[in-house]
Amino acid sequence: MNDTTTLDIDRSVGDFSYPEVHQFDAGIGLSADTVNYIADVKGEPDWIREFRLKALDVFEKKPMPTNWASKDLEAINFDKIRYYLAHGQKATRSWDEVPEDVKRTFERLGIPEQERKFLAGVEAQFDSEAVYSNIKKAVGDQGVIFMGSTDALIERPDIFRKWFGKVIPTGDNKFSALNSAVFSGGSFIYVPPGVKVKHPLQAYFRINAENFGQFERTLIIADEGSEVVYMEGCTAPKFETATLHSAVVELVAMKGAKIQYITVQNWSANVFNLVTKRGLAHEDAEIKWIDCNIGSRLTMKYPGVVMKGKRARGEVISIALASDGQHQDTGAKMVHAADDTTSNVVSKSISVGTGRATYRGLVHVPKHLKGCKNNTECDALMINSTARTDTYPAITVRGTGNAVQHEASVSQISAEQIFYMQQRGLTEAQAMSLSVNGFVNDLVRQFPMEYSVELKRLIDMEMEGSVG
Amino acid sequence: MSSLEIKNLHVSIGEKEIIRGLSLVVPKGEVHAIMGPNGSGKSTLSKAIGGHPDYTITSGEVLLDGVSILDQAPDERARTGLFLAFQYPMEIPGVSNANFLRAALQARLPDGEELEAVDFYEQLYAKMDELEMPRAFTARSVNEGFSGGEKKRNEILQMAMLQPKYAILDETDSGLDIDALRIVSNGVNALRGPNLGVLLITHYQRLLDYIVPDYVHVMVAGRIVQSGGKELALELEERGYEFIREGIEERETATV
Amino acid sequence: MDQNNAGTTGNLLSSGARADGARDWSSELREQAWERFEQLPAPVRTQEEWRFANLKDLGLAQYSQPLPLGDADEHSLRERSHGLDKIAGRMIFANDRLIARDCIGESLRQKGVLWLTIEEAASAHPDLFRKHFMREEAVLGSQKFAALHQSQARAGTFLHVPRGVEIDLPIEAFHWLHGSGGSCFPHTLIIAEEMSKVTFVDYFESDDATATGLACGVNDLWLGAGAKVTYVCAQNWSREALAFQINSTVVGRDAHAIALNVNLGGSHARTESVSHLRGPGGRSDMLSVSVADRRQELDQRTFQIHEVPNTASDLLYKNSLDDESRTIFSGLIRVNPGAHKTDAYQKVRNLLLSDEAEANSAPGLEIEADDVRCTHGATSGQVEEEELFYLMSRGISKKQAQKLIVHGFLQEAIDRVAHPAIAEKLGELVHQKFDAAR
Repeated sequence: MNDTTTLDIDRSVGDFSYPEVHQFDAGIGLSADTVNYIADVKGEPDWIREFRLKALDVFEKKPMPTNWASKDLEAINFDKIRYYLAHGQKATRSWDEVPEDVKRTFERLGIPEQERKFLAGVEAQFDSEAVYSNIKKAVGDQGVIFMGSTDALIERPDIFRKWFGKVIPTGDNKFSALNSAVFSGGSFIYVPPGVKVKHPLQAYFRINAENFGQFERTLIIADEGSEVVYMEGCTAPKFETATLHSAVVELVAMKGAKIQYITVQNWSANVFNLVTKRGLAHEDAEIKWIDCNIGSRLTMKYPGVVMKGKRARGEVISIALASDGQHQDTGAKMVHAADDTTSNVVSKSISVGTGRATYRGLVHVPKHLKGCKNNTECDALMINSTARTDTYPAITVRGTGNAVQHEASVSQISAEQIFYMQQRGLTEAQAMSLSVNGFVNDLVRQFPMEYSVELKRLIDMEMEGSVG
Repeated sequence: MSSLEIKNLHVSIGEKEIIRGLSLVVPKGEVHAIMGPNGSGKSTLSKAIGGHPDYTITSGEVLLDGVSILDQAPDERARTGLFLAFQYPMEIPGVSNANFLRAALQARLPDGEELEAVDFYEQLYAKMDELEMPRAFTARSVNEGFSGGEKKRNEILQMAMLQPKYAILDETDSGLDIDALRIVSNGVNALRGPNLGVLLITHYQRLLDYIVPDYVHVMVAGRIVQSGGKELALELEERGYEFIREGIEERETATV
Repeated sequence: MDQNNAGTTGNLLSSGARADGARDWSSELREQAWERFEQLPAPVRTQEEWRFANLKDLGLAQYSQPLPLGDADEHSLRERSHGLDKIAGRMIFANDRLIARDCIGESLRQKGVLWLTIEEAASAHPDLFRKHFMREEAVLGSQKFAALHQSQARAGTFLHVPRGVEIDLPIEAFHWLHGSGGSCFPHTLIIAEEMSKVTFVDYFESDDATATGLACGVNDLWLGAGAKVTYVCAQNWSREALAFQINSTVVGRDAHAIALNVNLGGSHARTESVSHLRGPGGRSDMLSVSVADRRQELDQRTFQIHEVPNTASDLLYKNSLDDESRTIFSGLIRVNPGAHKTDAYQKVRNLLLSDEAEANSAPGLEIEADDVRCTHGATSGQVEEEELFYLMSRGISKKQAQKLIVHGFLQEAIDRVAHPAIAEKLGELVHQKFDAAR
């Protein structure tokens, strides 16, 4: 095994920015002109341009989902956001060619050290475009394609166009429509039949400009019997005003394929992180989302799996940490669309201070299916009396022959508990660590080893002095 | 000076003074009961001695074997030999009883010394048997989902394992039905001996039928107003707290 | 505008002023309620409170005011009002008119127990009545139907149990819906003062199991310090009836409320139940048993509101679903800021007996205090083949075996009432429904 890597999600590491000099800038605000500008800069064919313009129309017509979601969404001013900023639209394959200021940024984040250690491929996105993308030769030789969204659509439409926008249609929600109109960057990956990518593919997303919206688009297709693990990390410096990150991630696991998608999100506390993630699992395929949300002002993200083929499996494992002023609104969607499909959701949230953690879940077992199973567990931990936690699952089951189970619990670490443990002789720090680790331990164990160590350290750090 | 000694103690919560000049000595080997009506400050006394941050000690002293503990953090007091059995024991989700007790015992060992796991479990199982607790209990999270009786039994188990010098049992009888009360009382009685001083806080006399105290003190409005032998408890049971309260008011009026 | 005609009325239910032209002290309140009813928008499915619901069945246009009743019908309904053998009192209403009253004993009267119709209570004890009558607003979506109820309610029982009075035997009320296309608005108001105790059973029945009709009831329980109230509602309206039931329970210090709703009838029956845990030490047990078949839609919404520290609530809802029936359970536990030491529990279990049946569950938690213990769970499953086989291997027919298993499944909630006579009576009603269906 490799050394434990340090995916640098420590906020003090991410909290820096460099003066921006952008070669391409779509200006402030959103209109057909903005969309056309992006399409022009990228040299996109008409079908992509039309796709974008249609999406813009859908975005404008769709209301904000404030009938069920946080009213805080109203704080986003779409007219004040910059939708496209780039140094140059081609990602470089050699680290030396990366512009100096961008290089400095990513070197501080530990890229490409990561790559040298164990990654099979890495892509780094700075504002709108990938600035660095490399895939190890061995993986490339196996036929694995790993490229940016626009390049992929232009160069390999035979592979990507078929699934692009199919797992998550433009009109799925207001933010998927927004992404469809202005998407830029992200990773398009194709793994040929039977290929098992040994090491994870990885992407870093970095917002460096104020008032900026990042809209990357990711599509991963794992062909029959293939396996791939993808990891992404997100950071941004602290700005005075709100920043928007609105990605769309589509996964397609063909017959018997396995995709594991790992996210560690540590956006700074002014980022609205509104992401749509969904996978389509064919017969005997497996899609697993591992989702860790630590940063952002408001995160709304409900990774889903549509189990389209028999015996397909879907899984969401998530940890959310809502600190002061943060709202982590996360969950899972499991749609069973074939017999003998199995889904599993395990969600753990910790809310601290004025933080709020919300779980929203959807489990759907429609007509006439047999042997479908879902198991959902969500546990919330509250630290301090001003914290808040909500759980809103919605479960629809039709017919006999299926088993669906949902369980949730809320517990707390209060000053009283800490006092209780101190009264038995533990120090305050020992008491806190024992409690928090007791809560997340069984879940952290499911993360790849190199993440779990880092994650525990990060959580311990966030917890310091939070009770009192 | 083998005793828990409280000297002219004054305790406030926020602006409000709850304990108003309380003095009491519990020598090792004795069981003292404090009885009093609701709101007399009984629970405040135990929390304040334990070092709960919400309670401010404005004046007075608490000495453990002659040494003041008021400057110590709650965990230091515990390691010095003080044990509180809580009226409402806390639930600690995700932390098993066994791990919790191990951590607490480990914290009492000098740096670099490791708790012997085999001995630990041997001792733990023996104590659990005495308290009629099933083995599966060790894997359950501390107090989580426990009935009132199980929680109180767990308090006594912790006390048995941690072997304090002085124990304050705060309304241990609340939330116990008659069977649970018997088991818990037996547990406490088994721990009585020359090396343990017990301060038993209770509202009802019935606990004292099972754990017979050496002395009974009556607490009203933050002070000990009367002390006596175990028969004082019976008198209270019969006549209620009113007669004592009247007595005090008369005395207070007389001093004006 | 929404596509459904939920909540729309024709000209039949026009205002609080009834056909007989009578005006009483509360006419004004009725008229205000009617205005509210007309002003409030009809429910739409995009409201979270109406998620999953079929709103097209909710039109009110086809229903008339409560129909008049002949002497022979009255007599027959009195005969058919079988409740418990041992009771402290019974009232029977048909189409919102009182048709029989077995008075409570002299001893209870001497202790000051008031046992009246709501109209009697409104005129004889106006202050007490007004202080409690519909004082808790509907908050789960049926504000409009609560207003309709208030504008129409005349029938129902008012029970006031004074401080320290314990009524050992249950008190009963029957509400009959007679004829086709009519309506009724049953009301139950129970005020249990400090340290009092009472058990009350409402029976909702239709004379003809296939007649259409509208039932829109409200039930309010008020529990003073240390009071214990056990309330059971056996809803057995006709299978073609449209029914709304809005329940509110206010639990004071150290009080204990146990409420069980048994849902058998109705083509579309919606029940909203709210427990306000308002005094420290209070506890509310919310129970339900639903037996859905054919094309029934049984829609239950619940709310456990922990307003103060040290309160407990425990919800157990059990649904069995056959044929093309649908059930909806949407429940929320809310722990207000500062309501520490809350112990809240919520469990819904669906047993699906047919491939066309659909169970929707949305158990929710909103927690704004720490130092709480809240758990909820929802399961959906079916009768285990192994279990069926075991029973059949002992010579029991498949249908019979299934019935036994379903009964066993439902029994857990019924047993929580801890009243054998009531459990037996409810068991009978559930049996009747199964027998009628098969």
